Amino acid sequence: MHTQDWQALLAGGEKMAPLQKRALYGFLIGLLLAFAILALLIFGGGINRFDSDDGFRIIIDVLWVLGLVTPLVLFWPLMQNSAKYDERDKVIMERSVRIQWIAIILSLATWIITLSEIYYSAGTVPVSFLYVMFISILIISTLSQSVGILIGYWRMSRHG
Amino acid sequence: MAKISNQIRRLRFNQKEMTQEELARAVGCTRQTIIALEQNKYVPSIELAYKIAKVFKVTLEEVFQYE
Repeated sequence: MHTQDWQALLAGGEKMAPLQKRALYGFLIGLLLAFAILALLIFGGGINRFDSDDGFRIIIDVLWVLGLVTPLVLFWPLMQNSAKYDERDKVIMERSVRIQWIAIILSLATWIITLSEIYYSAGTVPVSFLYVMFISILIISTLSQSVGILIGYWRMSRHG
Repeated sequence: MAKISNQIRRLRFNQKEMTQEELARAVGCTRQTIIALEQNKYVPSIELAYKIAKVFKVTLEEVFQYE
């Protein structure tokens, strides 16, 4: 399937709106960064290396900062351009916050339940987990915003 | 359920076959929003509705109908 076919499918048979296109790029970039961070944490030495190796921590930091900057670079200039970002895009952007909130609450709940279950008997949680939790929430927030925008366009093209 | 329909496609045709892109530029929105409007998938704000009516030089009721 060609890129244009995917774009048409996501847009409900019509060319994608500028915000929709950028949300798709944001989602793909965010997903790539999330996988890179996950892969580094799982196969690169885990939380212990993150705790002790400054170089390793800097690599992770660069990745999550990129994840944070990506939506700013993608969405901010577009939102200043009234010819490419109109009232319909604004409605969809505002609705995407709901998806973002749900994703953040669910990920926080997952983190808290998982850490509580694992470290309950120890009585303490390694401090590094707080930092990793923060990184993951930022990445999830970025990803879910893009997903929310894409769902918004998809729903509007079907149900209005 | 109440529905708002419109005559944008017909009015464009009567306006020397104005393109969606031309209408979008005239009212300050994206072509995708004009497409959504013509397919009755989006109800515009009062401001956008008036802008569209103004471009076609007709009243609001001639463009949008409340069913």
